[in-house]
Amino acid sequence: MALAQRKPLNLEKFKIPRGRVIIFEELCKGCELCIEYCPKQILELSEDYNERGYHYPVLKSGMEDECIYCLFCQEVCPDFAIFSEKVEGEGHG
Amino acid sequence: MRVGVFICHCGRNIASVVDVHWLKNEAAKLKNVVFCEDYIYLCSEPGQKFICEKIKELNLTHIIVAACTPSLHGETFSRTLESAGLNRYLLEIANIREQCSWVHQNTPKIATKKALKLIEAALAKLTYAKPLTPLRVPMIRKALVIGGGIAGIQAALDIANGGFEVYLVEKEPSLGGHMAQLSETFPTLDCSSCILTPKMVEVAHHKNIHLFTYAEVKNIEGTVGNFEVTILKKPRYVWEDKCTGCNDCVDVCPVIVPNEFDQGLGARKAIYIPFPQAVPLVYTIDLENCLNSKKLIVCENCFKACGPRAIDFLMEEEEVKIKVGAIIVATGYDLIPLEALPEYGGGRYQDVITSLDLERLLSPSGPTGGVIRRPSDGKIPKSIVFIQCAGSRDPEHGRPYCSKICCMYTAKHALLYKHAVPEGKVYIFYIDIRAAGKRYEEFVQRIVEEERVLYLRGKVSKVFRKNEKLVVLGVDTLTGRTVEIETDMVVVAPAIISNNGGKALAQILKTPIDEFGFFTEIHPKLRPVESPAIGIYLAGAAQSPKDISESVAQASAAASKVLALFSQKRIALEPIKAEVDVKLCKGCGICVKTCPFGAIKIIKKKKKKYAQVSKAVCQGCGSCMGACKFRAINVAHFTLKQLFSQVDALLEG
Ligand SMILES: Cc1cc2nc3c(=O)[nH]c(=O)nc-3n(C[C@H](O)[C@H](O)[C@H](O)COP(=O)(O)OP(=O)(O)OC[C@H]3O[C@@H](n4cnc5c(N)ncnc54)[C@H](O)[C@@H]3O)c2cc1C
Repeated sequence: MALAQRKPLNLEKFKIPRGRVIIFEELCKGCELCIEYCPKQILELSEDYNERGYHYPVLKSGMEDECIYCLFCQEVCPDFAIFSEKVEGEGHG
Repeated sequence: MRVGVFICHCGRNIASVVDVHWLKNEAAKLKNVVFCEDYIYLCSEPGQKFICEKIKELNLTHIIVAACTPSLHGETFSRTLESAGLNRYLLEIANIREQCSWVHQNTPKIATKKALKLIEAALAKLTYAKPLTPLRVPMIRKALVIGGGIAGIQAALDIANGGFEVYLVEKEPSLGGHMAQLSETFPTLDCSSCILTPKMVEVAHHKNIHLFTYAEVKNIEGTVGNFEVTILKKPRYVWEDKCTGCNDCVDVCPVIVPNEFDQGLGARKAIYIPFPQAVPLVYTIDLENCLNSKKLIVCENCFKACGPRAIDFLMEEEEVKIKVGAIIVATGYDLIPLEALPEYGGGRYQDVITSLDLERLLSPSGPTGGVIRRPSDGKIPKSIVFIQCAGSRDPEHGRPYCSKICCMYTAKHALLYKHAVPEGKVYIFYIDIRAAGKRYEEFVQRIVEEERVLYLRGKVSKVFRKNEKLVVLGVDTLTGRTVEIETDMVVVAPAIISNNGGKALAQILKTPIDEFGFFTEIHPKLRPVESPAIGIYLAGAAQSPKDISESVAQASAAASKVLALFSQKRIALEPIKAEVDVKLCKGCGICVKTCPFGAIKIIKKKKKKYAQVSKAVCQGCGSCMGACKFRAINVAHFTLKQLFSQVDALLEG
């Protein structure tokens, strides 16, 4: 079995940090930096418009629990429109 | 010039083909020959004494020995000359064994004539021989050990304890090599880490050892006594001097990947140590899997968690230049990958694993905490079929050799499995059991008799899946019957192969490897730890499959060779070196390009450009001599004049 294809037997021992993404859609002006840079690629552009007429980021469906709490979105957002909140009791890999 | 010719019978090796009496009479007639005699074994003590006495008695000035190849006894007879007060370079050896009697056994007459020709040619060359004195250059009494497995560790410790500095270069993030992956070791069942870890720690703390892990040797120049080595340190993205090994970075790292050290049966993070006892205990970031790349840092979790601020994503690779006098190659081995064994379901079925995979499952610090579990579903197997010689002793696939250690470790595996799962069934397919080592046969017998393990002599033809189980089809050659065994797990013993970076390293070292990629020794029996490149020694499985005790023994042997070399402050080099005739040289530089050792450069003095040879670096190979259009370069002891007259003598008549 090639190394990379194997499923490790001790995955339950490995915890990874988890975050809950919070998006203030009305602050967003649709620059898409967060979408571009999210290392887990869990964000996409909304179909709706916000009050100011922009598309804003939303979590891809099924990826709601995939945030790893790296906070990069928070750092790149020019408008303080996205945050992540640490989820205690971290998830498995 | 008063030449003495001595003709050896080599017992019957030469004398049964070549007519030595006729040869003696004819050789005696040659110009400048004042004495000629034949003798049964010239290499024997009385034989050498005979030569010595004749030199003194008859004032002989030059000697020809017609005997076996100079690579066997050249040194013996050179010393004989010295003991009689002659310069050792006034000797020529006519090889009338390998190049005559052995290859012309069926044509003795022609062989005898050829033997005379070979003596004439030797005489022609000897006519222009000059006495030479060895060069003495200062020796750098520090050693480089390449590879930090048990062999490299042992060699480094022995040299360091002998009082000399050692640079130990290991390409992985930790010392230990394969031994660190093993659970318990045959034949004593010592826990592998328990006996290895203290040695790794000793290396790390030894004041004479400079340890470079996650590093490789990039280039080597120079020769014995004076090697210049460039070491490439790969970036770990963690400063070794700051990291405290606290593990805080690992907890926050969001990336989980299979751990190579656990053969992919366990996981690790993108920032990791390969195993808990790693030395040095310093984390490494695997940038390929890390969310960050060289260009963009998106995740700073580890950076923020690191108290001592050891993490540095901007770290670059670094080159370090060192000088050493001797090198030990201890780069170990690899196993052929499972994918290369499709007949056994390798690469196709998750529960067909290698012996090394099983070591990780057996290891208390392994992914399952020492419980043997099937990779497919994590269940404990109720039966295991072991397949020996998977790829070894298989000339059709280019590996005719025996991998040597598999019989022993399979017996060990059977025992450890039976102790863990007493009701479990074990079947072992083998060709024959090779257990030649101290207490080895007893070990295997104990398993056969006490553990109720079924040894089946024969080969497996096929492994396939049937529901949750694997089916092994084979032939029991003792009963002649085909056997079909349903089992939960199959463990193959893959052929031991040379380490895959070995070839590149051999090129850097300019030292030969054999057709299988293992490093070659100068003489398999009498000089097993020396490579043909002087000053480069071999230790462990880099040379051929070996178990731990053999690897350690050879490592200590190689270290003692280095210590013997270092017992002197200067080193004598063969004076067989290229010499430039400045008058003939035009400074064209062709020799500079031809020299494989970088020993020549063009210099300019008083408006004249010419080539200059660094005698300490030159190996006397003669490439430059052959390339020089102006015949301006000669290699001492093999000058153009000597070689041409030798060839002329062969072609005459
Ligand atoms: C399944 C299995 C079970 C075994 N069980 C036993 C046992 O019970 N008892 C026993 O006596 N033996 C056992 N052995 C054999 C044992 O593994 C070897 O004898 C031993 O590991 C050989 O040590 P080594 O240092 O020569 O090579 P290795 O352990 O292969 O170490 C070589 C080191 O060199 C490094 N390296 C390679 N290339 C370079 C390079 N270019 N530059 C820098 N570093 C490099 C490698 O990373 C490695 O750390 C077993 C082997 C296997 C496969």
